[in-house]
Amino acid sequence: MLRYSLARFGAMLLTMFIIMSLSFWIIRLMPQSIFENPEVAPEVQKLLEAEMHLDKPMVVQYYYFIRDIITKRDFGRSVKLRPGMEVFKVIASRIKPSVVLNFFSLLMAIPAGIILGTIAALQRNKLADNIISFLVVIFISVPSFVFGSVLQYTFTFKIPIFPTLYDASATSFRAMFHSLTLPIIALALGPCATIARYLRGELIETLSSEFLLLARTKGLTRAQAVVRHAFRNSMVPIANTVIPMITGIMGGSLVIERIFAVPGMGGQLVQSITVGDHFLTVALLMFYSAISLVTIFIVDISYGLIDPRIRVGGGK
Amino acid sequence: MIIDRNNLPEDIRNLPESSFEIVGTEDIRDEAFRTEPVGFFKDAVSRLTKNKLSVISFWIIMLIIASSIIVPNCTGYTYSEQNVAFKNLPPKVPGLEKLGILDGTRVMTNRRKDSLNDPTQFPPGSVIEIVKEYSHSGVEMVDVKVDFYRMVGVPEGRYHWMGTDYLGRDLCTRLFLGARISLIIAFFSVVTNICIGIIYGACSGYYGGRVDMMLTHFAEILDGLPYIVVTILFMLLLGSGMVSIVLALTVTGWIGTSRLVRAQFYRFKGREYVLAARTLGVKDRALIFRHILPNAIGPIITRAMISIPGAIFSESFLAYIGLGIKPPNPSIGILLSDGQKVLLQYPYQTVFPAVLISLLMVSFNLFANGLRDALDPTQRGEV
Amino acid sequence: MAEDRNKNEVILQVKDLRISFRAYGGLVKAVRGVSFDLKRGETVAIVGESGSGKSVSIKAIMGILPGNAIIEGGEILYGGMDLTKLTEEEFHKIRGKRIGLIFQDPLSSLNPIMKVGAQIMEALILSQKMDKKAARIRALELMEAVGIPDVERRFHQYPFQFSGGMRQRIVIAIALAGDPEILICDEPTTALDVTVQARILELINKIKEDRHLSVIFITHDLGVVAQMADRVNVMYAGKIVETGTTEEIFFSPVHPYTWALLSSMPDLETKERLLSIPGAPPNMIAPPPGDAFSVRNRYAMKIDFEKEPPLFKITDTHYAATWLLHPKAPPVQMPEALRARIERMRRAVANG
Repeated sequence: MLRYSLARFGAMLLTMFIIMSLSFWIIRLMPQSIFENPEVAPEVQKLLEAEMHLDKPMVVQYYYFIRDIITKRDFGRSVKLRPGMEVFKVIASRIKPSVVLNFFSLLMAIPAGIILGTIAALQRNKLADNIISFLVVIFISVPSFVFGSVLQYTFTFKIPIFPTLYDASATSFRAMFHSLTLPIIALALGPCATIARYLRGELIETLSSEFLLLARTKGLTRAQAVVRHAFRNSMVPIANTVIPMITGIMGGSLVIERIFAVPGMGGQLVQSITVGDHFLTVALLMFYSAISLVTIFIVDISYGLIDPRIRVGGGK
Repeated sequence: MIIDRNNLPEDIRNLPESSFEIVGTEDIRDEAFRTEPVGFFKDAVSRLTKNKLSVISFWIIMLIIASSIIVPNCTGYTYSEQNVAFKNLPPKVPGLEKLGILDGTRVMTNRRKDSLNDPTQFPPGSVIEIVKEYSHSGVEMVDVKVDFYRMVGVPEGRYHWMGTDYLGRDLCTRLFLGARISLIIAFFSVVTNICIGIIYGACSGYYGGRVDMMLTHFAEILDGLPYIVVTILFMLLLGSGMVSIVLALTVTGWIGTSRLVRAQFYRFKGREYVLAARTLGVKDRALIFRHILPNAIGPIITRAMISIPGAIFSESFLAYIGLGIKPPNPSIGILLSDGQKVLLQYPYQTVFPAVLISLLMVSFNLFANGLRDALDPTQRGEV
Repeated sequence: MAEDRNKNEVILQVKDLRISFRAYGGLVKAVRGVSFDLKRGETVAIVGESGSGKSVSIKAIMGILPGNAIIEGGEILYGGMDLTKLTEEEFHKIRGKRIGLIFQDPLSSLNPIMKVGAQIMEALILSQKMDKKAARIRALELMEAVGIPDVERRFHQYPFQFSGGMRQRIVIAIALAGDPEILICDEPTTALDVTVQARILELINKIKEDRHLSVIFITHDLGVVAQMADRVNVMYAGKIVETGTTEEIFFSPVHPYTWALLSSMPDLETKERLLSIPGAPPNMIAPPPGDAFSVRNRYAMKIDFEKEPPLFKITDTHYAATWLLHPKAPPVQMPEALRARIERMRRAVANG
């Protein structure tokens, strides 16, 4: 297990390093100067460029870039959106609503998906299964930003039970959560359907497996056999779907944050892309990558915990 | 029924001698197939057409494709033609207007009652009915339903089936042109992904050994990169434009196909018929494309169909966050993003693109599911 | 004396069992009137090709038929109950505790992500209400009894860490956990190597002796039958076509299908070509009238295509369903090669 974890951890670091390098080269390869800003005097630009080592060869710049991030957590400064502010601080000021939004979406999607998938599998080809399967197709197909708009229009305008936009002045967590409910739902629908679809397929397969029959010939009741044997076994492949789901949720949150005016990193990223605040963009992208990589790492480890064939490392 | 041979019942004892003539032969063959042999694709199509949902989704997809080709040329407007005087017009459809829906009317709230008589604000004939009358701090106020087209002076006979946007551009033209762009991008990105995936996976699976190991490791590392991040980075690098979008969607998009093709090659390259072909001196390329790859054709088609809605989503997503197609070019993502800004005032600007993209995605997903079941009957039963 | 009476006591009786499956094309008649007895302490083998209905019959005995199966008629009498009429709840009292089952494929019949010890203990704890400690001791005993070395360590391992033979031993241990009096083996050695096969068969024979079990042994391999069974039922297309003691079936078979089975069995001395059975089993949605084997039978008579043969009695224990036993049938003898073969087997048995 330790070896497996270390290997996963190493893979995570490698991926992070690749993203850092990719970001660096892509930004530097962009055609125009980062400071192409008529309002800033040429001397100041020179000074800034010197400070950011922009006058040195690319490889040296690359070295400084990596070094600053690792040793000083210095991702550079915002140049357009929050001029002069350290990018790291910009992110820090924005992180909380984003984390709440993403985390709770995932937290909602997983159990809801598991319940729906289980019902569908146990009621296979009956009414409940058909309804769930229909909803699953809708939720998987329709983009989260469409859901965002629909929910916003329905539940803040037609039936006003939620605030239209994020309540940035909310003091209590409850008030904040209240204004985040709709974006959380909009983000959770897709992943929830993905889990339900996979779990249904897996459960149906496990339910017809020989070891489930053996469990019943041992004298276990059907319910005991399903809970003890089918369920946990079906969870193994489900862990696989969680990874793309996390990236899905994070991507969706870019737009959802904008629809509901959540002052999170997603909205900030979209803004910084629009105005071309490249340092901020890169740092935000790296931050996004870091969060998703850490989550993937956690999922990988728990995957090992569920499936002994990975943990023990043997097997054929 | 147990029978004692020394004490046979009447009916069995009296069976005629002739019944006991031996008619069996030495020459017993496996039963010949009674039905016509059915080819792989014919079989798949017959299974597909039995699936009602797939057939319906197929026709919806065809309808949307046809509309995206025809409609933008038939509306009489261009996608970039602005007319700020006619901005935010509600939808008006000839024929339907007489039924009271999509008739170009709008309810305007909080108007002073006396302003109704002001012909500069409400030209004659523009007021249809007063919905609500009330007074607000002594001033008589009304909510009034108006013929918006007449009110802003749109010439008679001019229709905008889906209304206009904040610049007075015809939304119907823009929406179907956007759908056309989405479909083109989706098509090309999927084709590129499949081609790269096939070549990469074929090399990996066919040559095996160290080549395979290196290729697989490279793909794995690439696959570890968060999809959204990579796509955004490449969009930044390549700039907007259809080709850039296709390329950005290709960076990691081919990995799934290559994995699938590789697995198929591992399954089939050791089969006797491949070995036989090889001993006969068939060249690598022929082995790959003529002998092994056709086995993977079913899963590849399924895979291609399933990734189309994904590509449509990615395109509109990028457009939505301002990285994809750039205005004034239309894209469903841009329309949705613009519509979102005025969602509460002019919901129709969101409704049409939202319905179209949802319909497109649902149809493609359903059709792809049907296709998978048809091409691979063993997987039947999954959603 | 008492033992003699015991010996002949029938503990399980299947009477005219009929089972069909709902399928796309219609009802598949998998079992069409099967009857046999199981006496205390004996091993009864059921032999037949795949699809002959042998596995379906024993699934009915265990009450684990799939959802699309219909028991259309017949009875399975056990301990004063008719098992075909039991509810799911009542079956729990029988499954595992009084009848144990060993599956064909030990890899797919064990839960891959559960420790083997836990899988043995599970039955003890959940259905026998043992406490954890007692269950553990019992599970270790069982593992030892089925010949697993180093049980303390093995107890905590997963199925994928076991070889095929060892896995099958675990499956046997699970089947024995409830201390059943009937053990049903559904092709327990087909998925195993030949050398491992022999050891598993030995093990089954040993635990049968030790625990005074009655065994129903399903197989398509006549070589295995000779080693294991006291009596043999030969099944074809959902029916028993010949039944008798092992000697009777091996040394004086009368049904052409049994002849064909025996001819297709490899043995060490065979010099001539092994004979396969030509043709394929019939379509069980619409079984042919008459003898289902007739189309593949080179001795088929006209009546075989018209009327189903009854079960003719040959001795008190030997019955066969073939019109060849009718007094008016031409005197057909078994093929010469088979006769020579049986002669060799006879001599081999006589010489020990």
